[in-house]
Amino acid sequence: MTKRMIVAALALAGIFISLYLTLYKLGVIGELSCSIGSCETVNASKWSRFLGLPVAAWGLLFYLDVFAIALIGTLARFEDERVISVVLVAEAAVGVLFSAWLTYLELGVIHAICIWCVTSAVIVTVILFVSVADLRDMRDLPAVTG
Amino acid sequence: MPANNDRPRDRNLPPRNTVREARASNRPKAFFWILGLIAVVGVAALGYEVSKPKSRSTDVREVADTTNAGPAQGYLIGKVDAPVKILEYADFECPSCGGWATVTEPDVRTRIINAGLANLTYYDFPLQQHRNTLAASNAAACADEQGKFWQMHDRLFQAQDEWNGAATEQPKPFFKRYAGEVGLDVPKWESCFDARKYQKRIGANLADGLRRGVNSTPTFVIGSKLYPGMRSYDEMKRLVDSVAKAAGPIEVDGIASGTPKK
Repeated sequence: MTKRMIVAALALAGIFISLYLTLYKLGVIGELSCSIGSCETVNASKWSRFLGLPVAAWGLLFYLDVFAIALIGTLARFEDERVISVVLVAEAAVGVLFSAWLTYLELGVIHAICIWCVTSAVIVTVILFVSVADLRDMRDLPAVTG
Repeated sequence: MPANNDRPRDRNLPPRNTVREARASNRPKAFFWILGLIAVVGVAALGYEVSKPKSRSTDVREVADTTNAGPAQGYLIGKVDAPVKILEYADFECPSCGGWATVTEPDVRTRIINAGLANLTYYDFPLQQHRNTLAASNAAACADEQGKFWQMHDRLFQAQDEWNGAATEQPKPFFKRYAGEVGLDVPKWESCFDARKYQKRIGANLADGLRRGVNSTPTFVIGSKLYPGMRSYDEMKRLVDSVAKAAGPIEVDGIASGTPKK
């Protein structure tokens, strides 16, 4: 497994979590399964929307994008493409910041924690670490010429 | 610029080809197995969640039913036989009702109601544009069942920003917390709330307000007059004093009984 494959696998897991929360927000799923915390308090709060879209939908778009880029990055012809590593790190950094903001809202403002949101925050953090490691590997590769 | 392939590398890194080989070596099988596994688990879990029966609908809004409404039944505070009766038609989610309840009403309670000059009866007047107000009326009615309407009333108005339609689509967790805070038997309150046990009473209170010509909240009825909008403590006191002096208690009694005005 290369690091990009790990990123792709994590992003795929993120896709399902954010899809689940998006479907809930759209009313397709009646109640959230939430063994720890109070997912509905969080996902029904006014903070569950950002720029007109549910936060979960932003998450879904984010993970789909990361998944696609990481997957492309595993193709033989793009494997050594440094730009892919840079984009992954940049996106993951944005994701981590956004998740940190959401986690702050959960703990400090809404006073309720949503286990799926926390799982997503953990996933995006791991994606960032792995992407940074991938970028470091890239630095160690000689420039590909021709 | 010549390729720097032959320059000795400065750190203890694996030979440069190894990194590339490691990347290229095992792409297909293990990777796709793992992706497949995640996809299968994810699709199965989502499929299960989607097919679960929905216990509630998110897009149908509850409104109070005023058809065939029974007799209105408000919530009284103060002496039953007080000389002046104040009726209040209010919506738990309306900001000015909240302002009145938290700023003015404490004074009205200590200096008018507790002083025995008047009593006040609260009638639900849930406005349709307020998503969570009917739920709040139910929460308060279920608190009334345990003799704590006014505690719940105060708690709801104090924390209006936290549970109103702008803040949340699901106010119940907040109401449940308040139920605990004001000392209700929470499981009992919850089953009452979930069953919408007093929905008819709320509808009847609304219907009563509509019959009286209430069209905004809060609206007060003092004596035989309707006073829409917030009133300061001084205004309330003046109105109560004037009714006590001028109108006979019999007429006022007729209004306070909660029966619709003819």
